Amino acid sequence: MAKSKMDSIERSGVVALILLCHLTKIFVTASLEVNETQQQHPTNVYHDMGVTRNKIVTAQFECYQKIMKDDPQGREEPVCNRTWDGWMCWDDTTAGANSEQHCPDYFQDFDPSEMVNKICTDSGIWFLHPESNRTWTNYTRCTEHTNEGRVTAMNLFYLALIGHGLSLTSLFVSLGIFFHFKSLSCQRITLHKNLFFSFVLNSVITMIWLTGVANNQELVQRNPTSCKVSLFIHLYLFACNYFWMLCEGIYLHTLIVVAVFAEKQHLMWYYLLGWGFPLIPATIHAVARSYYYNDNCWISSKTSLLYIIHGPICAALLVNLFFLLNIVRVLITKLKVTHQAESSLYMKAVRATLILVPLLGIQYVLFPYKPEGRVSSEIYDYIMHILMHYQGLLVATIFCFFNGEVQAVLRRHWNQYNIQFGSSIGNHSEAMRSASYTASSITEVQGCYSIDGHTEHMNGKGFHDADASILKSDSPFA
Amino acid sequence: MTGVKMQLIFQSFLSCCLLATVAHCVELEVNPELKTKLSTWFGSRLRRDLNSVSVEKTAEYFVRPEDIRDTLLPHSSTHTNVRTKRSKNSSNHSKGQGCSLVTCTVHDLAHRLHMLNNKLKIGTAPRDKIRAHGYGRRRRSLPVRRVSLRLEQGRLRPMWSIKDSQVHKLEALLRRT
Repeated sequence: MAKSKMDSIERSGVVALILLCHLTKIFVTASLEVNETQQQHPTNVYHDMGVTRNKIVTAQFECYQKIMKDDPQGREEPVCNRTWDGWMCWDDTTAGANSEQHCPDYFQDFDPSEMVNKICTDSGIWFLHPESNRTWTNYTRCTEHTNEGRVTAMNLFYLALIGHGLSLTSLFVSLGIFFHFKSLSCQRITLHKNLFFSFVLNSVITMIWLTGVANNQELVQRNPTSCKVSLFIHLYLFACNYFWMLCEGIYLHTLIVVAVFAEKQHLMWYYLLGWGFPLIPATIHAVARSYYYNDNCWISSKTSLLYIIHGPICAALLVNLFFLLNIVRVLITKLKVTHQAESSLYMKAVRATLILVPLLGIQYVLFPYKPEGRVSSEIYDYIMHILMHYQGLLVATIFCFFNGEVQAVLRRHWNQYNIQFGSSIGNHSEAMRSASYTASSITEVQGCYSIDGHTEHMNGKGFHDADASILKSDSPFA
Repeated sequence: MTGVKMQLIFQSFLSCCLLATVAHCVELEVNPELKTKLSTWFGSRLRRDLNSVSVEKTAEYFVRPEDIRDTLLPHSSTHTNVRTKRSKNSSNHSKGQGCSLVTCTVHDLAHRLHMLNNKLKIGTAPRDKIRAHGYGRRRRSLPVRRVSLRLEQGRLRPMWSIKDSQVHKLEALLRRT
């Protein structure tokens, strides 16, 4: 056993070394690449108001080239000829068909997700507007919902700012509690600390990104390297956040399902996965972005390169979903053994699941894709933004403020403080209550330690208690 | 004992992941042909994105290398393929691009805010062009003369020419459409 452990440590050292070498190599290439691209593309010269005009003229130029390129072959059925309508290019369309394209992005009030349509009548002529008797393309939908879209975006922006502000406050308070009260420290709390810390960093960088870069047109125009670096950090911390959720999932799964009798888990692997691994997709994304999609400040979200970051994140979330299901399955089977009433058993399971959902980020797996359609996608946006920006607040509330151990420790300290500074108002009953709290908190703290250190001493009879205490310490109400 | 086993499995999984990434990059380094293949594939996939989205790039791309080449060699037929490919791609923009996963909503929000505050585009579309008398078909006047570059005594000189098959072709086309 000791030998295998030594082996594994040796192997892990080698792997870490390889990883380090690999990372430095990537960094060197990345920095070289950034320098090169900067030399190739000097700062964009900006023509005021020219953008719209340039776009239209370019589209027209391309349209005529396209029309000239492929000559119409002999066709039997009548078609509306390909044409340039002044804003967009239209292909040959069979008679009686309705041709649709996405709105162009020439104007600020054009919504590129809406559709333009041009009808080809049965006689093979493009639709004529009855009022003017001229060929007409329907662009009215492009500007129809622009104001609503603007209001939604601003609402989401303020929602995000408030959410991150609240999350930051609660996370700072809970981190303070975790660090101040040494009696709380055990492996689970160490993981919580890391998760909370990644939440804090993610909130800070997201707020900076939303207010300082996305809302700052001049900065994006100047396109300094610092804003690209900040996106790199943003993506790295974003991924760190989700990988710490994965770490929590792995830890709980190992604790409950795999190894009830195991000794202390090695936290080194969790640190490597939580803080180290996200560097890889973030770096790959940065390199790929500077090669293939080097837009100003890398602010565009319309590139598939973002999957480099979000693919691993979603994989981590899926793994967490599997862990959650497995944990709940094991809990139900083990609680059944203890012959509890059916209803309270399922209530417990449901409660544990609901509590674990925000910790493991399962809410994102439940609605993985954005629906089509304006109203539904707007509702989806609101729900997802609330879930995303308020998750820190939710996690801090459930796993610190509602946590039995934390509450007990706080109460004990509050009572000690009261006794110490001789507030003689405290009557007899209060003293009694404080004594009982102290007793309960000691048992709870012991429960925490018993999971960490002394589980190997437990026999088959005891492991239900371990599970029960996990359930207890994770759920605020149990 | 199960714990040790699990730990071993977990460690080997992690090291496999790391090995895979390392091996992938080493392979790229060793095999430059594969690298160029990959990069052309990526380029062809992603250049399309660039065309449609970035407002800022348009000014830069307004005159493209292909276009200049076209003026220099008006009768070469090899470059037509390149041009059509590009125009085909740019016509269907903002469809199926970008990240549509849940966690991308943050980037979407940043992008939307950026777009909303873009003072460089014209703010409102001209209403009269959307209404009944607006966009349908417009005829544009054609330039009568066309500049072309000739090689004279080792120097490129611009020449104005009236007779050009492409202009006539364009004229015919405009009459037809």
